[in-house]
Amino acid sequence: MNPSNGNGSMSTASSSGAWDGRDQFPAGLRVLVVDDDPTCLMIFEKMLKACLYQVTKCNKAETALSVLREHKNEFDIVISDVHMPDMDGFELLKHITSEMDLPVILISADARKQVVMEGVTYGACDYLIKPVRIETLKNIWQHVVRKKARNTV
Amino acid sequence: MDGYGMQNQIACIRRSLFDQGYLDEQFIQLEELQDDANPNFVQEIVTLFYTDSTRLIQNIELTLNSRPINFSKLDDYMHQFKGSSSSIGAKKVTSECAVFRQYCAAGNAEACIRNFQHIKQEHAILRKKLEFYFQMMGQAAVAQTR
Repeated sequence: MNPSNGNGSMSTASSSGAWDGRDQFPAGLRVLVVDDDPTCLMIFEKMLKACLYQVTKCNKAETALSVLREHKNEFDIVISDVHMPDMDGFELLKHITSEMDLPVILISADARKQVVMEGVTYGACDYLIKPVRIETLKNIWQHVVRKKARNTV
Repeated sequence: MDGYGMQNQIACIRRSLFDQGYLDEQFIQLEELQDDANPNFVQEIVTLFYTDSTRLIQNIELTLNSRPINFSKLDDYMHQFKGSSSSIGAKKVTSECAVFRQYCAAGNAEACIRNFQHIKQEHAILRKKLEFYFQMMGQAAVAQTR
């Protein structure tokens, strides 16, 4: 993931390899993106890579959850579509907030207020409406920094 | 036609796609993602969209033909269709999907069936136009290497 570059500024309280936002800021942010729509998933991957983030993609929430459980501390943020067969984005969000301390951004083509409200109430740090622009993704590192700042208080 | 003439023609084709409302600025987002590492990114995304949406259309067709119509399932499919068509900037297709979802929410089978024909038409028209556009770009690229 992020090899130590030897100048000593990479050490943080979390495990080595954690993105602490100082060195290549905000490049290298480790993102897990989940969407069952292959077109959207491919676009997200390209956009996130263009932001210089490190991207892992999943087309199923179940798979995403296994990956997160097996590779704890190897991701900084999760972006997930809401509308997926099997496990949906809300359920994934609930699992992540209860098991891990990762910020989760929900994405949907559904802009109805009550759905957005539900997502935010369940702990999503943001709710984006498709189609998502790259400018929006360029700012997602702020959620990681904000969460870390809150945790260290 | 010389290189400059071809580029001109391609620019005109592209502009008309936007002027006539077939594409919106999300398509420009895709164009801006295209780089030397992925020189055919836009075409690849469009191809992927058409492969996947064809499957969705078949599912919607099946659901519309079954009795009673499962409007909840229809809405699910159309939600996904709208999500991916909006992601490639397919403006007309996306707005027809939004109309469909309104009819679907109202349980209006007749209107859904009618509107779905519009969706399929717009989907097919855009496909032809984009295929032509990519074909022209391919020819221009070949002409430039001569």
